Amino acid sequence: MPRHNSRHTDRGVQRRVQRRKEAPPGTDRRPGGTFRCAGCRLDVPLAAPGTAHRNHCPQCLSSRHVDGRVPGDRAADCGGRMEALSLSSRPDGEWLLVHHCLLCGELSTNRIAGDDNPLALLKLAVRPLSDRRVPARALLAL
Amino acid sequence: MSNTDKTTDPNRSRTSTETFVCVWCGLTVAASGPDGKRRNHCPSCVHSRHVHDHVEGGPSECRARMSPISIAVLRNGDWKVIHRCTRCDELTANRVQGDDNQLILMRLAVRPLAQPPFPLELFGDL
Repeated sequence: MPRHNSRHTDRGVQRRVQRRKEAPPGTDRRPGGTFRCAGCRLDVPLAAPGTAHRNHCPQCLSSRHVDGRVPGDRAADCGGRMEALSLSSRPDGEWLLVHHCLLCGELSTNRIAGDDNPLALLKLAVRPLSDRRVPARALLAL
Repeated sequence: MSNTDKTTDPNRSRTSTETFVCVWCGLTVAASGPDGKRRNHCPSCVHSRHVHDHVEGGPSECRARMSPISIAVLRNGDWKVIHRCTRCDELTANRVQGDDNQLILMRLAVRPLAQPPFPLELFGDL
């Protein structure tokens, strides 16, 4: 609803009518630069420290399948929930999250953000080591 | 190559002498793994080749080398290797075989912990 401020209009100071911003199709972007996590329903701000392409929730690391091959292109019409499958690391030591779409099975990678939950990341990193059979087999192979 | 096996299982309808040469380490590998299914990656260096198009199905024209980037653990405890194509950046997940190099798999699994983005000492207090 447009606000009428008679004091300002009397002085001739006109407020500029705010332009409506169109959300990108296929996303549940909310006004104010936030999105709601598909996994834990947390409202997450789009701005993230350390990355320009935040695509996952910092709390539960879930994502949504909206992008195609290029981050931000909104080329996928799947829209399914993507769960963090594993952690990979680049040669320079940066961690990458590998996401797995629960609807169509597509895989994608994304850099971790500066405010991602360290406990959730570490749980994912030590998950292969929780099984005792494989380290034992690795030692036997020596 | 003539096929004398008459069973209907597609994994069995292949001669057991079929081999492929690994694009990374050059090892000649039997095409069928210890479980009788077709191998996806070299058991020695865990590198693969982009021959299957996972988006549209069917054979892929890329045929570039796929390097292993991480280990994923399924809910039942099985391991999968995530491969990334070095040419077109396609990602695939494939089950590990029983005769895969355990040291390479272990190295992939612990590689993120070698360079953590935050100090791991803090987790000792939790």
